[in-house]
Amino acid sequence: MKTGFIFLLFTAFAAGAQNKPATADTTVKSKRALHEVVVSAGSFEASDKAKGASLTPIDAVTVAGSNADITQALRSLPGAQQIGEQSGLFVRGGTGDETRQFIDGTLLKTPNYPSVPGIPQYARINPFLFKGILFSAGGYSALYGGAMSSALVMETTDLPEKTSASCSVFPSNLGAGFQHLADNNKSSYGANLNYSNQSLYNGVIPQKPDYYAGPAYADGNFNFRIRTGKTGMLKLYSNWTYSDVGMRNPDIDSSTLNSGYRVHGWNSYNNLSFRSLLDHNWKLEAGTVYSFNETATTTSLTDTKGAPVAAPIPGKNSSHLIRSDFAQARIVLTRFFSKGQALRIGGEHFYTHDKGHTNDTLLTLTDQLSAFFAEGDIYLAPNLAAKAGVRAEYSTVLRKAVVAPRLSMAYRLPDGSQFNVAYGIFYQEPLNDWLYLQRDLNFSSATHYVLNYTKKANNRFFRAELYYKQYKELIKTVPNLSNNGNGYAQGLELFWRDKKSIKNLDYWVSYTYLDTKRNDLNAPYTLRPAYTSPHTTTVAIKKFFQEISTSVNVSWAFAAGRPYYNINAGSISDQGTTKTYNIANLHIAYLCSFFKHRKWKDFSGFAVGVNNIFGTNQVFGYQYSANGMNKAAITLPATRGYFAGIFMSFGIDRTEDFLNTNL
Amino acid sequence: MKKLLTIALMTVLYYSSYAQSDALQQAVTKLDQAQTVKDYLLLEKTFASASGQPAWLPPYYAALCNARIGFLLQDDGEKIEPYSDRGEAQAKQALSLLDSSKQHKELAEVYTVLSMVYRTKVFINPMTYGRKYGMLSQQLLDKALALDPQNPRALYVAAWVKYYTPKMWGGDKEQAKKLAGESLAKLTNPGTDVYPHWGRADDQLLLSKIK
Repeated sequence: MKTGFIFLLFTAFAAGAQNKPATADTTVKSKRALHEVVVSAGSFEASDKAKGASLTPIDAVTVAGSNADITQALRSLPGAQQIGEQSGLFVRGGTGDETRQFIDGTLLKTPNYPSVPGIPQYARINPFLFKGILFSAGGYSALYGGAMSSALVMETTDLPEKTSASCSVFPSNLGAGFQHLADNNKSSYGANLNYSNQSLYNGVIPQKPDYYAGPAYADGNFNFRIRTGKTGMLKLYSNWTYSDVGMRNPDIDSSTLNSGYRVHGWNSYNNLSFRSLLDHNWKLEAGTVYSFNETATTTSLTDTKGAPVAAPIPGKNSSHLIRSDFAQARIVLTRFFSKGQALRIGGEHFYTHDKGHTNDTLLTLTDQLSAFFAEGDIYLAPNLAAKAGVRAEYSTVLRKAVVAPRLSMAYRLPDGSQFNVAYGIFYQEPLNDWLYLQRDLNFSSATHYVLNYTKKANNRFFRAELYYKQYKELIKTVPNLSNNGNGYAQGLELFWRDKKSIKNLDYWVSYTYLDTKRNDLNAPYTLRPAYTSPHTTTVAIKKFFQEISTSVNVSWAFAAGRPYYNINAGSISDQGTTKTYNIANLHIAYLCSFFKHRKWKDFSGFAVGVNNIFGTNQVFGYQYSANGMNKAAITLPATRGYFAGIFMSFGIDRTEDFLNTNL
Repeated sequence: MKKLLTIALMTVLYYSSYAQSDALQQAVTKLDQAQTVKDYLLLEKTFASASGQPAWLPPYYAALCNARIGFLLQDDGEKIEPYSDRGEAQAKQALSLLDSSKQHKELAEVYTVLSMVYRTKVFINPMTYGRKYGMLSQQLLDKALALDPQNPRALYVAAWVKYYTPKMWGGDKEQAKKLAGESLAKLTNPGTDVYPHWGRADDQLLLSKIK
């Protein structure tokens, strides 16, 4: 498993945080007064400024079983579905494509390695890069767009607190990296390399697919950060990844043949961002991103000896290649006013150019999407605040403009709890897969209505949220490609976190009720989507045993069965509900130091983990043969997942420097 | 006549300053008895508005009250911050009223309280505030002990830190016991005047936990 080490490393860092050196505070100070009402409908914020039982980024990403993927980790929060057969975050009746990730304001277009049927693929970017994570399940800010369901807004860390080097050795994953902080504490650079090859692991723990290549994943990244002036921060982050997965499964339409799938992925993601106060009242944030992605997929039908076989059913022998260039530039200006009020105005431009082929068909697409937005934080009364915004977008490929209003309000009760409401329209362009085929389409949209109640006190956090969401102009593929689809989602979500009741134990519980139906793609009529479960419960438990320096993380998720359908030639020939989903994951880390009392202190440990401890058989859905006579369950590639390894981090103790520069 | 007026004015000034000193003494006496957040809230108001002599004592005691409130609220991270912030400002004010080249013992007292104030910031959320303020707290305590190695209150805070820090990060219960014992030995007769003399009950409480 590629999971792991960094995750545990950071848990450990957090546990030991009290005596670790501090980062110089380069944050642009917010002008909010204490106890002020903060508008927060629809979202969970994990911030490095979290107080009490509010989430910190480390809390959010160190949920057991998350495989160092932020979207997997966030499935322990209400609103997200427990999707085990593909990557992405499925929020409130939305597909994984309706969630978009933003890093320092700019879009992260391909967060995960290229998809493989039935098996979620790892995230390309380490979630510990972020000091702030805002997971919005609805009603998010006008500063972001292009996502009908959910925005994941992430802010990268500033300067590291010290110069350090780290490495990890897990049987299927090797990693090494360093961070160098300049002596004047004003700039830093760093690089990391990771290589993961699962073949050894898969030799020991049999997997359901027969992997004939990899799965192998390699990533390299580097960063450079510099403080400019008193409040400025310029950051460069560049990430390069490669993956190769080749596998065979028994062919569903025959008894003797194998169906092969191979995907190569190359990706480069480069983000340059800048933020600074211009003077006392103005703040500037700018960002640019360039990313390149190439995904080459081939499917093949082979006999038992591995020889290619001509396929009687189309699509069994295919090749698909897409090269995608993506660039974005964005600027946001904020003017601060008294009483925590602010006005933000900005614009951004997205450039997408895809070129490739499916078998013999050429695919090309160029899209220029421009957006302008304005948003105000408005003070109405000491206990009443509003955030009102508007976002306008124009797409050259659709040749259409849309205007999306956004509004949220918060009312603070005398006991410190809060009511929030939010409303907004969220537009999204059809997926490129459809735009390759046809340009005369519209934006799809979702209108959100959210009512939320939160109370935080005594290191406990309670949150309840009700919402209704209406989908319009979803893509239909049958009878022809059009925007004639529609749907709705509504539900209730509860969240409870308690850090107080038991010393050194932190747990949270979430419950998600979801009622959703949609008529989209090839659905013959309005259906409950196959990626939605009506009831989901999750539990995350974290405990640090101080006396034995061991941290234990447990997560558990339960979801009622999901619907499944065999849609064939415009009608449903088979349907049902899967068995309930029930999974528990366990991670344990023992922390220690091998070289004490040296200038370079090490921070090390051993980590072990098991995903799906109880070995429950999970069924996510069914795959059907072309004639509908045969169906096969889509399950986990192996019943349980394991990892074990060792990690080390060395840092120069610079406590003295800090003392001299900060006091 | 002018002279008489001056004398009268002087007298009034003298008595009002005496009365204020008296108010400070009364508040300090009450502080020795204070136990609950409510007690400390009331006293913090008193100290914050007091103007007795020496001048550094009222802000010092106000900061101490805020630190105490933070320690009492340590399981309620959402509430602590305003008290920490006030305490920090008050302790820094007290520092500014001291002569850093001469008043080493007084400086040690204030650094000890500022160290406690930063410790309360850690309670807000150790994951996010611990890194920065845990270290600041430790450094101020080290400063206090460097200026006055025998200060029983600095020794007490050092004992507290040793007791509550996990072993792998340098915590040591034996060491905590030793430090609290040393501190207590210096507080057999701490006095009751306005000069800082607290710590005896704190040492006893901590020692009762270490068995």
